[in-house]
Amino acid sequence: MEFEIAGIIVIFLITLAIGLAFSIGANDETSAPLAAAGTLKIRMVLIIGGAAIAFGTIFLSQGVASMVGEKILGPGIKYTIFMLFAVLISSIIWLVIGSFAGIPLSSTHSLIGSIFGVVIVYALFYGGVDPATAFNWDKLGSVVISWFLSPLFGLLVTYGLYKLIEKFYLSKKKGLNEIEISEKKFAWALVIAIIFAEIWVGANSAEALGILYALYSNGEIDLVTYYFFVVICAILAFLGLYIAGRYVIRNLASQLTDARPSDGFIIQLSAAIILMFCTVFYSVPISHSHVIVFSIIGLNIAQKKEVDYGKLGKMFVFWVLTFPLAALMAGLIYFGFLSFGFY
Amino acid sequence: MIDLTDLSDKNLKKLKIDDLTHMFMDSINEQTLKMIEGINYLIKEDFDNFEKNLRYVIDTKTEIQIKKAFEAKIFKSKLMFSKADRLKVFSKINDIKDIGEYLANKLLVYKVVFPDEKFKLRIELILKYLREISVNLVDAVKTIGTDLTHAHDICEHIKDERRKMRVEEWNLLRRLWNYEMDYIPKEFIYLKEMIEGIMMLADHIKKFSEYIQFLATKYYYFK
Repeated sequence: MEFEIAGIIVIFLITLAIGLAFSIGANDETSAPLAAAGTLKIRMVLIIGGAAIAFGTIFLSQGVASMVGEKILGPGIKYTIFMLFAVLISSIIWLVIGSFAGIPLSSTHSLIGSIFGVVIVYALFYGGVDPATAFNWDKLGSVVISWFLSPLFGLLVTYGLYKLIEKFYLSKKKGLNEIEISEKKFAWALVIAIIFAEIWVGANSAEALGILYALYSNGEIDLVTYYFFVVICAILAFLGLYIAGRYVIRNLASQLTDARPSDGFIIQLSAAIILMFCTVFYSVPISHSHVIVFSIIGLNIAQKKEVDYGKLGKMFVFWVLTFPLAALMAGLIYFGFLSFGFY
Repeated sequence: MIDLTDLSDKNLKKLKIDDLTHMFMDSINEQTLKMIEGINYLIKEDFDNFEKNLRYVIDTKTEIQIKKAFEAKIFKSKLMFSKADRLKVFSKINDIKDIGEYLANKLLVYKVVFPDEKFKLRIELILKYLREISVNLVDAVKTIGTDLTHAHDICEHIKDERRKMRVEEWNLLRRLWNYEMDYIPKEFIYLKEMIEGIMMLADHIKKFSEYIQFLATKYYYFK
């Protein structure tokens, strides 16, 4: 009976992970500036963006997935399926709350917060593990620090990149014709920047693959099955972008028709550089949307435009609260499972 | 310099969006200058040339061909973000023609004799300003494509000149309202509406130059 329930939960977890992969594609707005620039038709934008996400998911995601699914934990502790189940429920609830509040919350922060909550509850109430050794604190620390540093570096890289391009290229453009020719070139450069960014979005999206890696790590699925589901997740991320993401992209693109491709290029390139750096060198899952928000701020500062710090403050409060609240929620859910004997 | 004499569809199709805009601006400016010249003839009581010039403004339709060529071209053009703004610039040039044509028709309904030399001088001064801002506007429109800062500066000058015109307008109206009561009302109305018509054209040029400044601010990469 217990085995049957465990099997059902594993299937449920895999289904949720695949669903999450679909939602990553569906909510991905990275390609919106490209659609707004009008360089390519929307269908081509979706195909290119989806293919790049799928590529990143299949070939470059293992580092981040293993970080979330295994390395973040301390020695002698492995995820149980009910821990993962509680993590997913908590993450989803917190993101739904965020959507209703109109705050772009990070699914990555929510996931790691939830993991923190269930592992602490497991250590305290079931596993007999010392909470001090429940985590690989170096890894967890690097993940949390990266959440603060990645937006900051996003801001700095964008600022620096804009100032550099402005000094050596943009400032030499005097008339509308020259500016337009220059922006046409940037529109094509934007294609490359978006592909680059989408690849690293796919590679850094830890939600779905972290869960799958955890299932592989605790022996619920083997390596071949893990990779099979990685490919399935990649296909679902592609389909998510192609089928559902088009509405997000089209909607955003219609608001960005006056935006300059050069701005889009600088923002996306900076964010992609940060994502790549975090993925390749540290394998830490970061929030793409947070990096983008700070990159936009960096660009606004560089262009001497006004920044709405009031709105930013509200966002920041939610960003900081995401980790502890997701941890609390996931901990309570998992405590509920433990109460019924499901560990 | 764009040749305004050969406006065949084939030739127009060969021109770029910018060339068509400049050609259109030249054509409209030429008509504005003709109208100013016509009003100057009226001041000199040379009614034949006055009518000839204003008829020219009303009857000239060459700009319609340019307009059609422009609209067809911009609709299919692969210009990036300035497409809608260029269309708006073009339509604002077209508005000058509309106002000019309206004013020309209005002025042709009657042939006025100006009340005195001082009034004539003041009208001439206003026309001189109008001529200057009209010519400056041509420069501003032609400079948008090559130097936004310069276009912005020209527009600032246009606004200054238009401000001086406004002062002259009040002086003229004050003078008009203070003539002896035996002055015949038909001429009073005609002159009042002529001043207002000229200022309507000047106001449009001022608003147009503000729009050019808006474009310059919007597109220029400020350091």
